[in-house]
Amino acid sequence: MEVLHNLAFGFSHALTLQNLMYCAIGCTVGTLVGLLPGLGPLSTISLLLPLTYSIPTAGSLIMLAGIYYGAQYGDSVSAITMKIPHASSIVACIDGYQMTLKGQTGLALFTAGVSSFIGGTVAIVVLSTLAPTLGEVAFLFGPADYCALMMLGFVCVSFVTTGSLLNGLAMSMVGVLLGMVGTDVNSGVQRYTMNLPFLADGIGVISIALGCFGITEVVKNLDSGSQHSPFNGKINLIPTWPEFKRIIPSALRGSVVGSLLGILPGGGPTIAQFAAYAIDKKFSKFKHEIGSGAIEGVAGQAAADEAAARTSFIPLMAIGIPENAVMALMMAAFIVKGIQPGPNMIATHPDLFWGLVASMWVGNCFLLVLNVPLVRYWLSVFKIPFSVLFPAILFFCCIGTYSINNNLEDVYITAVFGFIGYAFLRLGLEAAPLILGFILGPMLEENFRRAMLLSRGSFGTFVNRPISGTLFVLIAVFITWQLVSFFLKSRKATLPLTPATVE
Amino acid sequence: MKNLNFVSGLFLMAIALVFGLVSFQYKIGQFSRAGPGLFPLLVSSLVFLIGVATMVRSRFIAPVPLNYNLRNIVLVLLGICGFTLLSQYINMIVGIVFLVFCSSFAGIAPYSVVRNLKISAGLIAIALAFQHLLGLNLPLY
Repeated sequence: MEVLHNLAFGFSHALTLQNLMYCAIGCTVGTLVGLLPGLGPLSTISLLLPLTYSIPTAGSLIMLAGIYYGAQYGDSVSAITMKIPHASSIVACIDGYQMTLKGQTGLALFTAGVSSFIGGTVAIVVLSTLAPTLGEVAFLFGPADYCALMMLGFVCVSFVTTGSLLNGLAMSMVGVLLGMVGTDVNSGVQRYTMNLPFLADGIGVISIALGCFGITEVVKNLDSGSQHSPFNGKINLIPTWPEFKRIIPSALRGSVVGSLLGILPGGGPTIAQFAAYAIDKKFSKFKHEIGSGAIEGVAGQAAADEAAARTSFIPLMAIGIPENAVMALMMAAFIVKGIQPGPNMIATHPDLFWGLVASMWVGNCFLLVLNVPLVRYWLSVFKIPFSVLFPAILFFCCIGTYSINNNLEDVYITAVFGFIGYAFLRLGLEAAPLILGFILGPMLEENFRRAMLLSRGSFGTFVNRPISGTLFVLIAVFITWQLVSFFLKSRKATLPLTPATVE
Repeated sequence: MKNLNFVSGLFLMAIALVFGLVSFQYKIGQFSRAGPGLFPLLVSSLVFLIGVATMVRSRFIAPVPLNYNLRNIVLVLLGICGFTLLSQYINMIVGIVFLVFCSSFAGIAPYSVVRNLKISAGLIAIALAFQHLLGLNLPLY
């Protein structure tokens, strides 16, 4: 009952004319920018962040959330119609694009839209029941537990986003190191600032995000020189009743899987999609069709995607620890607005928290009502050639960095990170864990130092406490499993070689 | 030296060395009373170890060639730095024009002055809209 009361309270904030408008603008702009090749949720959010600076706090958070799931939806649209994969829509390329080849684009887009709606709705129920409870659990966490949770997050994110534990861990640790630039809060010593006054407050997260994602993505597209031919097919959105009936079970499965995987550290839309797709392949009534353009192949993953995108707000808002790179960026945006996400957020800013939860559902409706029918007009974004688009994207990167502090020197930092991001790209190192490391770095250091101070320098505290002990055991199991599977694989690879060399 | 995994290992070790060696300038302290240099030293040692592991691992797996093309990234960064310099010393409108004209050399599309003028005009209009509608403080003129 309390949940219903809270949600009603939230809706009373989300349904004001102003906030409705911010939500609609966020969804629309997010979808449009998300459609563009190469611009996933991370770069979309960092590009559009400056739009929210002059808006009141509640409105700006609602708009940011709108931008986030708008971008998510835009990604899946470009995946379905043109097979342009983003990090958040790889699975949609499989069956979605197959449906387009069969001439069922409209059905695929409708399925994705409706399943996202179902996924989002389930996730909001989970969010509104679980977040306050988890917030109370978070009060049991000591500094050692926070350290363990963050380390587990690094390990999981590294594995999920890059597939290679070594590369991902390296990048999150480089992020932690970058997070140390600036004034040390404990001693007041300036670290790694090279005596430059504008580095005394540290590097801005937006500078890093726009450099590593905005500029690097632009150059990546320029290097590949690919031009996407715009989608010109017919779109017939209205499905038949039997088709509609096929969406529901698979979308519900996807929602549950997505909601669960969204909460776990390192979880989020990407892994949820793959899991939902795998489950549909195993349990769906039409599993023999999946892979060749089945409704279930689109519905399950779209629902999981959307559900995980929502429930990944739970660790951020309840514990104060972002679990993936997008949430790290969201956390930065919250802090810019003067809100510290964490166990106290629900108690001190109930209007913001419940307003945001309610607005997520409102945003879902907007996506369904506005975006699904209008999608054919939005695809005309692709008629703009990239040679016209990319100077504009670069300009927005510059404006985005500049307008945080109205400081042009920040733009140089973005340029430097553009180069570093390009180096990472060419070296096969994924930059997403870097953002997470950068945001969590200062928190990790503070909690580590506090834990060591409390335990008088003994590392035993990390193992003796039940929460951190369990989390560290999980990390150890994961790393051992990785090592063992690497050695097994390399042994398998060398075994067939030996007889060949003997001959 | 063209093996991607080998070079990325080297790159990580270089980053770790820079951060690790500088951290000795700050007070290290003990674990129970950590100085500002302790945590950076710990993390950069970890990065160094990962770099070594990446290099060792590159010996056991199939080499991946390292491809790069400096032309586009240099042109784009030149455009951005020029934009910032011009905005600092003259004004942002000149900066926008420079950004468009410089960065358009990147990519494969044929260079067109007319197209660039159109893009610049569009971006200046957007910048004016940002300034007047969203209240961003841009040094446009």
